[in-house]
Amino acid sequence: MIPGLHLTRIGREAFLLEPSRSLNIRDEARLVEHIAAKLQQAKASCLYYDLAELALIDPVYYAWLNALARTMAAINVRMICIHMQPTAAFSLSGFIAGKPAFETALDIPDVHFTGSPV
Amino acid sequence: MNQKLSEKLSALFSLKIGNISPLLEEPGKIHFGSDSNLMDDDEIADLSAEFLSLMAELLGSKNPNDRKSPEFHALEMFFAALSHKILMRGGRVEEVVRYTQLLQYALIEALEKDSGIPFTESRSVLHYFTSIFNELIMAVFRAYLEERERVLEAQEAELRETATPITEIWDGVLTLPIIGTLDSSRTMLVMEALLNRVAKDHADVVVMDLTGVQNIDSQVSHHLIQIVRAVQLMGSSAIITGIQPEIARALISLNIDLSGVTTRASLSDGLKEAFRRLGIQVSHKAS
Repeated sequence: MIPGLHLTRIGREAFLLEPSRSLNIRDEARLVEHIAAKLQQAKASCLYYDLAELALIDPVYYAWLNALARTMAAINVRMICIHMQPTAAFSLSGFIAGKPAFETALDIPDVHFTGSPV
Repeated sequence: MNQKLSEKLSALFSLKIGNISPLLEEPGKIHFGSDSNLMDDDEIADLSAEFLSLMAELLGSKNPNDRKSPEFHALEMFFAALSHKILMRGGRVEEVVRYTQLLQYALIEALEKDSGIPFTESRSVLHYFTSIFNELIMAVFRAYLEERERVLEAQEAELRETATPITEIWDGVLTLPIIGTLDSSRTMLVMEALLNRVAKDHADVVVMDLTGVQNIDSQVSHHLIQIVRAVQLMGSSAIITGIQPEIARALISLNIDLSGVTTRASLSDGLKEAFRRLGIQVSHKAS
């Protein structure tokens, strides 16, 4: 169990990560290590990060997403942010320069959907 | 003093109201009937009868001076509704105000005639009616302002709608033709509407057609790029089509980085690209 995060296996190699309000991104190093360890252990190749509950993404949160995505890339896991809200996309597009380290998608492809929590 | 006035007023209205009613139709006929054609005679008769019954209720209430009483509120609502009705039918607020003033004179005259009391000798009654009607004129103006505000809001919403004609041209493909001058506030409107539609329709591709855009400045070009970036961040892809040569030149001279943006010459090319991305093939029917 990772505090502030809910990690669910949604396919053979895919995981869904849902952050909760109690997520403390200042504890970045520990969180990233935990997530990476879980995914490596499960031989995951894809991580969907659910942004549905996030109305706004500020530079601090963007830095957290980028740090996590870079770590995932280092262990050969694609990180795809899904359900980004229009308000969050608007705020984020206002300050980022260049491409983020993560991919984005509207939703999880149907092929993955048979979830079980880990 | 107040009690004395109330008694006087009640006494006035205990007279034959039926005799007064036709006299009060005259102001309605002058301002809403005949030339202006805002109401027919039956409607004016109903209006006068309703006014008289509400006024009778106010004067027969515990305290006719109480501006917070339900009876007075009902009278205010009557004038507010009248104001709305006349404005909706193309009348002007001046007509309602003049009608209200004339109604006041007609009421006083009718009561004078009916009671035989000269109101020049009963200033308290005169003063009472003046203050009541002043409040009612205020109610008319408030209704007018509310109506104006509502019309302006509706016009603004219509303008927003026409400024951002987003169409789902195919499942998952949104098109947004932009025509005219793009300024910062309009670009923000476009961005807001487009991002909300992407979320609502789960659009995979957005085609923004700039064929009708003649001018663009630095701030707007940055906003355009921001729209493309925001659409991509939501997980869709954006295609810009129809960039005129002068707009292309302006974008380059403004150092706008278009490297992450897919562009196509025309809307039709943009749609072909959108279909290609979705794996849709459109072909002529074999003859």
